[in-house]
Amino acid sequence: MAADELLLSEFLYVSVSDVAAASGLSAEDIGELIELGALEPARHAGPELSLPAQAIEAARAIRQLQRDFELPLAGAALVLAYRERIRELEERVRLLECLVPEAARPR
Amino acid sequence: MKYKDYYQILGVPRDASEEDIKKAYRRLARKYHPDVSKERDAEERFKEISEAYEVLKDKEKRAAYDRLGQYRPGEEFRPPPDWAEQFVRGFGGGFAEGIDLSDLFGDLFGGGRRARTRGFAMPGEDYEAVVHLTLEEAARGTEVPLDLNVPEYDTEGMPRRVPRQIKVRIPKGVSDGQKLRVPGKGGPGINGGPPGALYLEIRLRPHPLFRPSGHDLYLEVPIAPWEAVLGATLEVPTLDGKVRLKIPAGARPGQKLRLAGKGLPKPGGGHGDLYAVLQIVTPATPTPRERELYEELARISAFDPRDRFAGRS
Repeated sequence: MAADELLLSEFLYVSVSDVAAASGLSAEDIGELIELGALEPARHAGPELSLPAQAIEAARAIRQLQRDFELPLAGAALVLAYRERIRELEERVRLLECLVPEAARPR
Repeated sequence: MKYKDYYQILGVPRDASEEDIKKAYRRLARKYHPDVSKERDAEERFKEISEAYEVLKDKEKRAAYDRLGQYRPGEEFRPPPDWAEQFVRGFGGGFAEGIDLSDLFGDLFGGGRRARTRGFAMPGEDYEAVVHLTLEEAARGTEVPLDLNVPEYDTEGMPRRVPRQIKVRIPKGVSDGQKLRVPGKGGPGINGGPPGALYLEIRLRPHPLFRPSGHDLYLEVPIAPWEAVLGATLEVPTLDGKVRLKIPAGARPGQKLRLAGKGLPKPGGGHGDLYAVLQIVTPATPTPRERELYEELARISAFDPRDRFAGRS
């Protein structure tokens, strides 16, 4: 993995082993998460499977959920999916608030 | 060393069964997990609960903890002289001041000192921190000093918490809620293992003018009623200075006008957009002449903003 700081965004890419090393999950776990649809590999074609760097954050969160609640991999991935859905909805609320005049926003 | 009452933290009696400890942990984890809890101190409480469970769920650690004796939470204490020898083979040193009970259990049982003596190479601990940036800092990139309180090991391998300040470079293009991984800025590796990483969560401070959404920015632009009707060209602020914005004739309140590429920079290249959101404002105290003109407009105008009400009771 890059020795410099890495922004965990959808625009930068890392390898499966990078995600495994950073999260504490095994490469097999990462493969299973890809099969489950919890992690999405990068769309560009290349000799090696790569993932957007934000997969590191997702994999770490899944590992943490597994530890905190003693969950199986699929269960932790499902919890993360719900959490992401909540984040998306919160982002949508923020966006709608941007369109409402400040004086009219609910407190 | 300050005493922590792990049984009290989990709300169970000292003779609680393994099953009762697990149930108590699950109930409290559900209540205080930072992902679900709205309580202000949820993160701290959750750490405390996890630490208590880590010790009490493990027979060996629980026995070691019980042998420490019972004190009031926060009370200073020292482990009995034979405590370390009884529970940690090969441990010979005394207990230094400043050791945290959680460091002690994590280190003696959790792969710290024991792992060192067995010679396994292990990566260092990952650290997490939150950094607050202004929108301008996020747009241009910056370097921030961070004050961390991290475990450090003395010559005998005993842990203690020490303050550490590090500087971290934040590249341009970060957005609110994103995380940055800084390799090598976590805890030191063990037995030749690599150091851990620092994970920084980016939080953007509120800006007086712009509201960010991802890499896009939103700017509320107040316009006068005649500017909305007739159209106008205005100067509006962006992060790079003022630009001219053309308001089309017949503009509506809430209408979004896009200024392409005037949002925050994206890490892969390019920029988000700036959206000017039009708000039509009226003068709070019109002058007599303005009032006259509005009255005349009211007389001559055929415009009916409520025509869709017509014919409905």
